[in-house]
Amino acid sequence: MTVKVRFFARFRELLGTDILTEPEKEESLLSLVRDIARKNKEGYDAIFDEHGTFREFVIVMRNGKRVEHDDATAIRVADGDEIAIFPPVAGG
Amino acid sequence: MIRVQTEDVDIGGLIAAAKDPGTGAVVVFDGVVRDDGITEMELEAYQDVAVAEMEKIARSATEQFRLRHVDIIHRIGRLSVGESILVIVVSAGHRPEAYAGSRYIIEEIKKSVPIWKKELTKDSGRWVPGEHGHGKGKQP
Repeated sequence: MTVKVRFFARFRELLGTDILTEPEKEESLLSLVRDIARKNKEGYDAIFDEHGTFREFVIVMRNGKRVEHDDATAIRVADGDEIAIFPPVAGG
Repeated sequence: MIRVQTEDVDIGGLIAAAKDPGTGAVVVFDGVVRDDGITEMELEAYQDVAVAEMEKIARSATEQFRLRHVDIIHRIGRLSVGESILVIVVSAGHRPEAYAGSRYIIEEIKKSVPIWKKELTKDSGRWVPGEHGHGKGKQP
């Protein structure tokens, strides 16, 4: 099973992007992103609070659709998923 | 035309293509890199999602404001002061719809299209904070 995790903007600078990972069976979206973010403390702290939950301003998408933070523990990632994590948008 | 691209935008060509015999007004929004003591601006997009979101906004604007034509071109990559960042061209039968439709599109882009800007200075850079987060929390 392969899942792609994409970070953007400041999160990309701290953690890289287009990370291909092979998660454990039944691994949750939250746990997967936490594991990847742990490689850089500053990156982890930018995305997660002291309880290990997504900071309120962080936007999470799975296959191009927004995921509510409260659902990130219940969602099990699946083969071919693309998870995107980014700060508030600032285009225009 | 709804696009995210690195190349500059031919605004004159877009205006010409936006007109048809029923057009009474064309409104152009040209968002430009301002000199706030920066050397350049760097833009990054979650491209597939950004285009899909801009297409959704264009459809919604067309329905709400009876627009005859909509172009949204958002640029990415490194841009210098004075270069266009975002060009929106809309046409309608009358000016109130064209102005309102253009305004609606830019405000919606700022809320939901995954694009980010970094202001580059001689020594460093700074990400421009977004105006609309996922939840109530503020970006530090």
